[in-house]
Amino acid sequence: MKFELDELIIEEGSRESVLAQRVLRALGGSVSASFVADARDAVRATPGPDPFGVGKRRLVVMKRRGAFLMACPAGSAKFACCGYLVLLLASNCPMDCSYCFLQEHVANNPAFQIYSNYADAFDELDRLAASSPGRHFRVGTGELADSLALDSATEMSVDLVDFARAREHLMIEFKTKTDEIGNLLKIDPRGRAIVAWTLSPRAVWRSSEHRTASPSSRIAAARAVLDAGYRVAFHFDPIIAYEGAARDYELLIEELLDVVPAKGISFVSMGTLRMTPALRAAARRRFPDDPMLLGEEVPGADGRLRAFAALRANLYRTIHRRFSEAGAPVPAYLCMENRVMHERVFGVAPENPATIGERLATG
Amino acid sequence: MNSLEVEIRELAARRHLPQASLERWLALDDAGRAAFLLAARSLKLRTGQLVGALELLEEIAARETTTAAQVLARPRLRGLLDGAGSTPQRAHAFIEELRAIRFPRLREHLGRIESAIAAMRLPHGLSVLLPRDLSSDELTIQLRASGPAQLGRLLDALVERRGDLARIAAMLGGDEI
Repeated sequence: MKFELDELIIEEGSRESVLAQRVLRALGGSVSASFVADARDAVRATPGPDPFGVGKRRLVVMKRRGAFLMACPAGSAKFACCGYLVLLLASNCPMDCSYCFLQEHVANNPAFQIYSNYADAFDELDRLAASSPGRHFRVGTGELADSLALDSATEMSVDLVDFARAREHLMIEFKTKTDEIGNLLKIDPRGRAIVAWTLSPRAVWRSSEHRTASPSSRIAAARAVLDAGYRVAFHFDPIIAYEGAARDYELLIEELLDVVPAKGISFVSMGTLRMTPALRAAARRRFPDDPMLLGEEVPGADGRLRAFAALRANLYRTIHRRFSEAGAPVPAYLCMENRVMHERVFGVAPENPATIGERLATG
Repeated sequence: MNSLEVEIRELAARRHLPQASLERWLALDDAGRAAFLLAARSLKLRTGQLVGALELLEEIAARETTTAAQVLARPRLRGLLDGAGSTPQRAHAFIEELRAIRFPRLREHLGRIESAIAAMRLPHGLSVLLPRDLSSDELTIQLRASGPAQLGRLLDALVERRGDLARIAAMLGGDEI
């Protein structure tokens, strides 16, 4: 996958870092690099019609000032959550999905940032493990960025897998819409890494997931990493409830199961499209012709717009049923849905987040 | 600025239409601008109705890859401009029709559930309330009784309809969609 950048900005304090050197080696020939003493100004939105889009084309290598490790920002006591932990090694992404929550979440600092001191995150993970002996953690790098979008330049995945494979309590999850798996195939994860793909039907990919790998390419990449010893998982999130979506999701799952056997899938997650009104407005401004942003979403109790409850439940059950018929159990959970919806879809009450997190980390 | 735009701006000023809504109106092609002006005048749409209708119209056109003029030319909407009923009733029906076009499966499912509720023939004092826009699957049953005798009758009526109520709860949770 080839990404086009307008600018590469490197903070002086990061100039000699391994990450900056790798990025300069990989991209320095295609975009000129500039160096700044403090990159915090460089990450902010610039005036213009599409500051978010401009930010995606400005790569900033800098030190992260805050913590790397955090609880999943989607988590809430109102939802039946999965106990996911998030490692913030980058912010924003060179792909451009019309529904992406980053359009609101990083609207004020939209530059594509990668953090040169990412090895500090490993210390945080070790401190977490030391504070909770006996527990297992599933930690993902794909919340505020795609885990692999720039991996051919950063090679961060190799460092992460190398770190995780020596720690029994840790499961690293790469979440991606790319087929950038070249570096992953160079290292044996020894069972300590999951590669998870967000999967959408072709209609959604064509309409909304700009500059991403096709669904078929993602599925082929999943098979390749599975054969290389990685665990694989799939996030049906966001599920977009357009007319004909149920049939398209069934076809997508058929295509997936033809390539990746059910017994090889560690888990699937499901979540329908949810947008705050501000996100919807921002997305509609940037993608006025995308019909996927104009589904039958209505405001819910938390203020977010979602497909009406019956439609959501019906789609979840359709997808879950298809996996249930696959010949091997595929663990599944819902994202940002309450306990009642969980019971409606799976027929049982959800476990608590820590238990689910433990199961997904060890399973 | 042509005469159509002048007329739109005058109506917008009289109704204190927000700038964003005026811009949405002016973003339509001439046929769409004119068709919406005709609807706004015929139905004496209030400010809130103008704002809502313009948003619905724009979204319908984008969803269906059509134009606002073509949407407004549909017989059910056209029929409301000079049909029977008071102007406020027709204005309300106009907005509801736009919502039905914008949210077709929601309206269809809501219709099915409302039919199922009507078929239960609930006695006076007993009512089933649905979540707004079916945004959740919560079913509310309201019971209003004066005195123990009526309370007893209503509770009996409720128990008799247990199966029907369970069906409605299941429909709210995605059955029969």
